[in-house]
Amino acid sequence: MATETVYDQILYKEDLSYLKKNRDPIIKWTLFVFASIATIFVFLIIIFLFINGAPFFAAVPLNDFLFGTNWLPTAGDFGALPIIVDTLLVTFGAIIIALPLGLATAIFIAEIAPPKLRKALKFTVEILAGIPSIVYGFFGLIVLNVIIKDIFGLHYGNSWLSGSFILAIMALPTIVSVCEDAIRAVPDYYRNASYAMGATKWQTIRKIVIPAGMSGITAAIILGIGRALGETMAMLLVIGNCKTFPEPLTNLLDCVAVITSTIAAGWGPTEQGSLEQRSYLALAIFLFLMTLIINTIANLILSRIQRKFSGERSKKRFSEFRESKLYKYMQKYKQLLLTIIISGLFILIPIDFVSRVIGVSICIGLSFLMYIRKKVPQNKKKWITYGIIIAFVGWVLSTWIGILLAITICVLILGTIYVIRRISTVSQQRLWFSIIYLFSLLAVIIVGILVSYIVVRGFPVLLEPDFLTGFPSDNGREGGILPAIVGTLELTLGSIAFALPLGVCAGIYLSEYAKNNRITKIIRAGIDNLNGTPSIVFALFGFVFFILFFGLGRSLLVGILTLGLMILPTIIRTTEEAVKAIPQSFREGSLALGSSKWQGIGKIVFPAAIPGIITGAILGMGRSAGETAPIMFTAVRSSARWITFSLFEPVMALTYHLYRLNTEVLDAVDKAAGTALTLLILVLLLYAFAFIIRSRYEKRKQW
Amino acid sequence: MKKENSGDVFLVLKFKNKNKEKIRNRYNEYNDEFVIETKELNLWYEDNHALKNINMKFRKNKVTAIIGPSGCGKSTLLRCFNRMNDVIEGCRIEGEVLFKGENLYNNNADIRINRKKIGMIFQKPNPFPMSIYDNIIYGPKIHKIEDNEILEEITENCLKRAVLWDEVKDRLKDTAMSLSGGQQQRLCIARALAVEPEILLMDEPTASLDPIATQKIEDLIFELKKEWTVIIVTHNMQQAARISDYTGFMYLGELIEYGETTQIFENPHQKLTENYITGRFG
Repeated sequence: MATETVYDQILYKEDLSYLKKNRDPIIKWTLFVFASIATIFVFLIIIFLFINGAPFFAAVPLNDFLFGTNWLPTAGDFGALPIIVDTLLVTFGAIIIALPLGLATAIFIAEIAPPKLRKALKFTVEILAGIPSIVYGFFGLIVLNVIIKDIFGLHYGNSWLSGSFILAIMALPTIVSVCEDAIRAVPDYYRNASYAMGATKWQTIRKIVIPAGMSGITAAIILGIGRALGETMAMLLVIGNCKTFPEPLTNLLDCVAVITSTIAAGWGPTEQGSLEQRSYLALAIFLFLMTLIINTIANLILSRIQRKFSGERSKKRFSEFRESKLYKYMQKYKQLLLTIIISGLFILIPIDFVSRVIGVSICIGLSFLMYIRKKVPQNKKKWITYGIIIAFVGWVLSTWIGILLAITICVLILGTIYVIRRISTVSQQRLWFSIIYLFSLLAVIIVGILVSYIVVRGFPVLLEPDFLTGFPSDNGREGGILPAIVGTLELTLGSIAFALPLGVCAGIYLSEYAKNNRITKIIRAGIDNLNGTPSIVFALFGFVFFILFFGLGRSLLVGILTLGLMILPTIIRTTEEAVKAIPQSFREGSLALGSSKWQGIGKIVFPAAIPGIITGAILGMGRSAGETAPIMFTAVRSSARWITFSLFEPVMALTYHLYRLNTEVLDAVDKAAGTALTLLILVLLLYAFAFIIRSRYEKRKQW
Repeated sequence: MKKENSGDVFLVLKFKNKNKEKIRNRYNEYNDEFVIETKELNLWYEDNHALKNINMKFRKNKVTAIIGPSGCGKSTLLRCFNRMNDVIEGCRIEGEVLFKGENLYNNNADIRINRKKIGMIFQKPNPFPMSIYDNIIYGPKIHKIEDNEILEEITENCLKRAVLWDEVKDRLKDTAMSLSGGQQQRLCIARALAVEPEILLMDEPTASLDPIATQKIEDLIFELKKEWTVIIVTHNMQQAARISDYTGFMYLGELIEYGETTQIFENPHQKLTENYITGRFG
């Protein structure tokens, strides 16, 4: 036996003290500094917004702002209620349209479509999420508004209906994609158990899969609402921006104004430091808080789903409180409690007496209905829910087409529901599947029309000799868009060059080095929330911080910084997730060989995470290429006859150019279509590239 | 792999024979029979008292098995020996772990030096997502060996010791992820051997492998103990009986019984040990 040959050699130095010379602390501190800078920026946005908006709330009573019905900042009227109500109405309308279409498409993709079709559809949906909002706005203005105008015989097509419709198309990819994920996340053994008891496919979907995926579907709706609330440019173009309630409140064809579009339309010409300017900051703060709440709820739900299916138990928070008697009483009488609280709110807020009475009685009525619903037997419960919905629909319909017709329609709907519940399960399945096919087809057709309209209209323009390589003249009516293409590329590359190093270092620090304490949690929550903050909020921050506070002029640099800050949270999060997805066993394997922590991260973990990080970076680039609002006040010029690479001069950008061709320049629809197509191709290519990298990487991944 | 071949596997290295004597001394300098020793070792995860007053001595050039039901703390104990528990947040350790007379948990004890000397094989094979060759040379490179010729030598030598050479010698540049589970585990053993540790810790190394791969690993352990001290945690009592010289039985964070394997399995002193070994619980 050759045992004695084993230690024949000295490969390793006897003295291992070289290991004590360790670069780890230096690297850790470098990462920490980068992470701190990123975090400080993230919180600066929140702080600056509030500091600059605060004087407004000192000068104008909160009541006048929230419940005043007249918005005219130049005259000193700051009643934002119509804008807030309009925003809610438009968003509500969008969800009503998008939810059935989105859910049906998601069910189709996840449960019915054959694997190849599923892959193709999923890919398309994910890419479509990248269509810049200004392109939707262009489509809405040129096509949808004209259709609505002609059908209903109006003077203008700018309306609540077109706003909701455009928002619905825009939110559709988000809703489909999150719903699909939620449905796919339901484990197969649920389905198998259901099939094994003789359930049809539809019964399984309806009774097992959808209830199990319900929280994900809820999250999808909430994220869709978030997306819709934060949308600026498309709304600016299609809804007409009149800061009044629709008349009557259910009039879909009246023109409305949302918070984002009000800010974008009003911000530009305001005097610096005036109450008028601060009123827009106040609106931005309100919007920020709204999206903060919505995103927090969505994140909570999504993280709960993850825990549910990964079997991880939630932390026993408030466990003592949960066992107390008080909590049990609260559980028992929560309905009563809620009614009292909401009625109390109605009494406290300063509105007129009649509205107070109406509010309180609606509240009590609803809770009474819920109470009855609890008392009725299980199988009759549904009818009360149907009843409430039908009553609501009936009321809305009656304001449109008269009471008699509305009642007829409601009765018909109830009858149909009754009949459907009586037919055989196989016919039910056939019926519901045809509805799903129909709705998914509808979704595909709507999005298809949008894309193909832009392609058909824009492609001939693209082929014009000077369009891609020429300079604009006559305000963009003639000539090409070369400076805009170059400007967009400069902004995109610049913002990623600024955000990527900061974001990647911050992400690595947060996931690998930061202790899991309260500060880290707060940082993470801040980053998460900025991830879903509307771009118009970043626009205001960029303007107030870089231009007013630092005195930088409108320039490429400010645009790059603003866009970079906007995509920074996304990059931090994707980096963190990519790094976290690398199994702990790799780190341990490296440590067990005597490596330092950074050697393991730098040589094993980081290289394995690179594809994920690149995907995030490209998605960020796509986003910054397609954004209009953040550069509108900070970086763009309307026309240029030269190409500039100077950081301190404003540039042209495709998105802003497209916006101008739709608003200020009236007769340049063809050029606008060409610009839209160029922008669409640029952004979609980036998105497609990102998803191809991701799918190849997932295929190759073997751990 | 047939037993008779194993002699050929341990090839004499071609270079640098001059330090032979020195190396021999290095290995024998710690003349005590016990190479690792724990004294009053206590460990907590948050509030969970996972190890309770463990006093244990591990003999040189022997295979020591630690057995016990799930959650009894045997993996935790093993991870104390190369301080892998440091990675886990909320983990607190009291007591001493002496490696050749020096406390691993001393403030001036360098954690990385000790980890180089005490290698570890994990329950689930964890090759890095890189080529087979890169996996082996990862450790040596960390320890400042840059010469390509030596690195190739190490690769061949270690893969031969881990009885994997014949299977992979034509595809060293392939990704390690393409190997089967058993091959991956032997690769991990080869990777650990490449930094020339003095002790090998094995945390249920065959738990995720099929019987044939398990057989190969066991044969390998049998060979390894000629030069290395092996401490192995296992679920499988037959495996402990087959390959180990000494066995410790743990239950609920306490060391119940520790002694020669034959004695533990044939004539356990404690009632608890007997119950476990005869399959009455666990």
